[in-house]
Amino acid sequence: MAGMPPLDSSKLQLVQELEIEMMSDMYNRMTSACHKKCIPPKYKDAELGKGESVCLDRCIAKYLDIHERIGKKLTQLSMQDEDLMKKLQAEQQPKV
Amino acid sequence: MDRQADDKRVFFTNEEWDRLARHLIGNSTRYRENIIIPRMMGPVKIKTKEEKMVEAAFESCAFKTVMSCVLGYGLGAAIGLFSASVNPSVPVGDTKQPSAREVLRDMKGTMVSYAKNFALVGAVFSAVECTIESYRGKSDWRNGTYAGGVTGGIIGLRAGIKAGIFGAAGFAAFSTLIDYYMHS
Repeated sequence: MAGMPPLDSSKLQLVQELEIEMMSDMYNRMTSACHKKCIPPKYKDAELGKGESVCLDRCIAKYLDIHERIGKKLTQLSMQDEDLMKKLQAEQQPKV
Repeated sequence: MDRQADDKRVFFTNEEWDRLARHLIGNSTRYRENIIIPRMMGPVKIKTKEEKMVEAAFESCAFKTVMSCVLGYGLGAAIGLFSASVNPSVPVGDTKQPSAREVLRDMKGTMVSYAKNFALVGAVFSAVECTIESYRGKSDWRNGTYAGGVTGGIIGLRAGIKAGIFGAAGFAAFSTLIDYYMHS
């Protein structure tokens, strides 16, 4: 739950563009995955039936939950890698 | 998108990336209220919370059960009226003719009995089918069959186990046939 690091305006614009790209990518993937999973390919009825609505609710909830968890785990791993690299560099410095 | 500051490159350090990633990906900090969902054709229509609540109420299992019960009562009354008119119940042994009021009271009794039965069957079937469909998460033909089986079983169990099994099988077949005719 960290806040954003202090950024100036050019970086902020880049961050906003990045966020829009991330969100739209996630939205597209989520809709295509849940559509494939929950809605059978033969359309008999224009309306979403109760079973399909329930399935879509569950699919979206799972997708967002997993997206959040994997993202946090990946950033945690990358931070650990970063710390390891720094330690190795710090160890190498005195030798030089 | 045209960028005016294209020649000026922007660099992020690794720590900034990590903090940004945790801020952007983790949904626990921010609650997005005005989510704009792009549409291909027509204006963007975002449903208000009240509209969504009303729609959820109309599509809930309880409302469907109540609707089925009411419609079953109406249908049962109609069928009871028809049945009473083609199947008059003559009181045994009485030689005097029943008055019109008595005949009408008889018909009303038959109608109410049919209506109650149909209402019960409709409510139970609708409730069971809605629950099964919500549990499975799929909308295919088997929901009607399973619900018909359960309903027939419940009705038939009043007269014993064997009647329950036959009732379940019969009602399941009936329900599948009706679904097939309605959706083909």
